[in-house]
Amino acid sequence: MVDNVSEETQTQDLVYALAASPGFAQDGVCFAARGSGLYRSDDGGTTWHPAYGSLNTEGALATTAVLVSPEFESDQSVFAGVHGGILRSVDGGETWNAAILRSPPPIISTLAVSPDFVRDGTLFAGTVEDGVFRSADRGSRWSAWNFGLLDLSVISLAISPRFAADETLFAGTETGIFRSTNGGRAWREVSFPTEFAPVLSLVLSPNYESDGVLFAGTESCGLFRSDDRGDTWTRPGEDVVDDIVNAIVLSPAFPASPDVLVMLSTALLISRDGGQSWSDWGSGPISEGGDDRALASILAPQGLDTGAPLLVGLVEGGVLRL
Amino acid sequence: MVASVRPTLGPLPRIVAIERLVSDKGPEILDDGGVIVRRILQLQDRDEDMGAMFVRHMLWHLHERVGDGTATAAVVFQSVYDQGVRYLVSGGNAMQMRRYLEKGMRVIHDDLAGMATHVDGKEKLAQIAESICYDPPLAKMLGEIFSIIGEHGRLDVRSGRGRELEREYVEGMYWKGGVFSRQMILDRAKLRTEMENAAILIGDLDIEDPRQLAQLLNKLVRANIRSLVIMARKLSDDCSAVLLTASRDPAKFQAIAVKVPASTVSDRAAALEDLAALTGGHPAIGAAGASLSRVEPQDLGRARRVWADRTYLGIVGGKGDPRALRAHIATLRAAFDRADDPGDRRKLRERIGKLMGGSATLWVGGVTEIEIERRKELAERTADALRGAIVEGVLPGGGASLLACRPALRQMADQSSDPDERAAYRILVRALEEPIRTILTNAGHDASEVMAEIKRADAGHGFDVRSGQVVDVAQAGILDSASVQQEAVRSAVAGAALALTIDVLVHHTDFDAQPSMGTG
Repeated sequence: MVDNVSEETQTQDLVYALAASPGFAQDGVCFAARGSGLYRSDDGGTTWHPAYGSLNTEGALATTAVLVSPEFESDQSVFAGVHGGILRSVDGGETWNAAILRSPPPIISTLAVSPDFVRDGTLFAGTVEDGVFRSADRGSRWSAWNFGLLDLSVISLAISPRFAADETLFAGTETGIFRSTNGGRAWREVSFPTEFAPVLSLVLSPNYESDGVLFAGTESCGLFRSDDRGDTWTRPGEDVVDDIVNAIVLSPAFPASPDVLVMLSTALLISRDGGQSWSDWGSGPISEGGDDRALASILAPQGLDTGAPLLVGLVEGGVLRL
Repeated sequence: MVASVRPTLGPLPRIVAIERLVSDKGPEILDDGGVIVRRILQLQDRDEDMGAMFVRHMLWHLHERVGDGTATAAVVFQSVYDQGVRYLVSGGNAMQMRRYLEKGMRVIHDDLAGMATHVDGKEKLAQIAESICYDPPLAKMLGEIFSIIGEHGRLDVRSGRGRELEREYVEGMYWKGGVFSRQMILDRAKLRTEMENAAILIGDLDIEDPRQLAQLLNKLVRANIRSLVIMARKLSDDCSAVLLTASRDPAKFQAIAVKVPASTVSDRAAALEDLAALTGGHPAIGAAGASLSRVEPQDLGRARRVWADRTYLGIVGGKGDPRALRAHIATLRAAFDRADDPGDRRKLRERIGKLMGGSATLWVGGVTEIEIERRKELAERTADALRGAIVEGVLPGGGASLLACRPALRQMADQSSDPDERAAYRILVRALEEPIRTILTNAGHDASEVMAEIKRADAGHGFDVRSGQVVDVAQAGILDSASVQQEAVRSAVAGAALALTIDVLVHHTDFDAQPSMGTG
C-alpha cells in the first residue's frame, strides 16, 4: 500500500503540518511544515524540495503550520507559521514576505483560511500562548482578537464552509472549545466539558450550515461529535478511539458519504458510518520492522475513497504516501 | 410626574422643557424619561408631591437598573392606578386587587419571556439600539461594539475630539494604578513602559525597607525572573531607588512598581482577587500578615505582556489557570445575577468584563459640549439596555409584545368568578394597550383608529409610526429589549398595586411642628 517513502525521512524532524493545492489531483502540489523548514512537492508527495531557498537563512527555519489558498491555482498563495511571524508567498513558495506578529514572539500552532479567501482575504492563526490572530488583508497585517477567549493556548482551528455568510469558526484549546460567530472578533465557550480537553483537532462537516456537525479530537479522551453546533456532544467509538486524536479528516461528501478518518498516536482508524464502527486504515505502512511509528500530521487531498492518496507526516521526520 | 414623561415614549417623541433652577439660560430641553424624573424635585401640593416622589423613585430605580423603559412604566402605572382607584371607589377590595394584579403581572412576565428571542450579530444589536436611542450612527456603532465585547464587556464612553463617533478596542484589561515614579517609564514617546513575559507581585504591601526589597530581587533573579512588576500601596523613595538601580540594564532585568488599584478596601480586595485569577498569582495582603520577606517566586502572577503608565496598569495574556479563571468568572456572574443594587451590579459587570479579555472605548464627538454630554448619556443608557437585550433577548417592539399578553389575561378573567380578580385582569388588559396608544398619540396619529387597524391584522403586527403602516413589527426590525419591557411592566404594576393599598399619608409640615395626617 505504500507508494513511496520520501527521501526526507532521513531527516529526523517532526512534520507539524501538511497542506495541498486544491488541484492536487492534477498538479500534485503539496507542502510539509517541518522542524527543518518548509518543503514543497510537485509530484503528490513522492519527492520534496526546500521551499525557503530564496530566504538564505543561516539555520533551519522551524515551520509549525502551513496553509494553501483555496484559490492556489490562480493566486499561488502559501502561508507558513514560524516563530514570531507568518510568512506569505504569492508564487507558490518561490519567494516570501514576512508578517511579524507583536512581541513576545508567538508560536504558531495552526492556520485557517476563509473559504471565501479570494474575496474577503481573511486568515486566522492559532498560537500556543497568545490566542488567535486575524488578518483581513491576505496575510499582510495581523492583529490579536481574543475577546472572550479565556484560554489563549490555541491548538486547533476549524472554519465554517459558509464562513462568508455565518462568520463562524471554532478554536480548540488546552481547556475547551470556543466559538466565534462574528468572524473571529469575539469568542464564547461552547459546552464542551473541560475535563475532556485539551482539544487537539477540530473539523466541521462540509455541510455544517445545515447539519451542524463537528468533531473534536482530544488528548486523552478520544473523539467527540456534536450534531448541534457544539451544544451537546457524544463519544462515537468510545471503546475503539480511546487514544490521542491528533487529526480528523471527513469525506468531502460528508454526510452523504459519512467517512471519518482519525489519526491516533501510532495508528489510523477509518469509520464509514459517521463514527459508529471503526477499522484500521492499515497498520502495515506505518509500522517499520514491527514497531509502530509516531504520527504527527495527515492530509487527504482527494478525500477518503478507497485508493485515494493519503499523506502522513511522522514525528521522526518524513512523509509517508499511502 | 407621569404627564412629564409620557410625551417621550416612542420613536417620534414630543419634547419636554424644564425650567432651570439656578441659571438664567433657557429651559432644559429633554426627551429622556429617566433624566426628566431626576429633574423634578418637588410639587407644591403636599399629597401630590408624595405621590409624585413615589413614582419618581420607581422610575429612577428602573432607569438605573435597565437603562430604559421609564415612559412605558409611567403610562402603564397611571393606567393601572387610575382604573384601580375607580374600581375601589365602587366598592372593590384593595388588598385582593393588589394580590390579583401581582398574579396577572407574573403571567405577563412569563408571556414576555416566552416571546423573547435571542439576539446576536451586529445588525440585530444595532436595530435594538436604534429602538432605544433613535440615533442611527450611534446605534450602528453600539451594535458592532456589543457584538464584540458581549453583555458584560467593558465600554468606556468618553468625549471625543472631533464631531463624529469613533471606537477603539483594547486588548487585555487594565486597572487604575500607574507607576510610582516617572523614571520607571521607559518609553518616553508613548509615556509608558511595556514588559514581556513579566512576573507580577500582586498585593497591597507598604514597601519601605530597601534591604528587604533587595533581598527579594536577588531571590527572583536567581529564579530566572527578568521582568518584574511590584504592586504596592506605598513605595518609599529608597525602595524606588533600589528598583531603578536594579533596572539599569533593562535587557537583563527590569522592575517597576505600580500602585495597587482602587481606593476603597472592598474594591481593592476585588481587584487583587481578579488579578490573582487572571495571572495565577497569590496576593500578598498586608492585613493577612504577608510581608516582602515571605514572597516566593511561585507566588507571583505571570503575563505575556504588561504595560503601565502614570495612571493605569494593563495586562495582556494573563497566565493564570484558565479553568480557575472560568470558575472565578462564574462566581462573579452568579453574584451579578443575585445583586439588586445598581452600584453593586455595575461593579460586578466591570469585573467580569475585564476578565473576559478586552474592552472598548467609544469616543463621542459633537459641536458643543452640551451636545457631547447629552449623546454620551444617551450612549450609556442605550448600552445598559443592550446588555439586557443580549441576556434576556428581544421582543416585537412598538408595544406589540404587550398587546400579545392580553389573551391570557382575558382568559383568566373569563374563568374567574371573583369580581376583584376579574377586575384586576381587565385593568391589566387595558393598561397593556396604553404604551402603544401613547406612542401613536405622540407621533400624531389617531390612536383609536390605528388600534382598530392593528386588531384586524395578524398576530405580531403593530404600527410603524415612521412609515405610517401596520407591519409585522419583528420583521420590520422594530424590537424592544425583553429585560426592559419585563422590568418596566413589573415596576409599573407592582408600584400601582402597592399605591392602591396606601390609606394614610403622613406629612412633616416643618421641623418643629407636629406631624399632620391626611387620608388618601
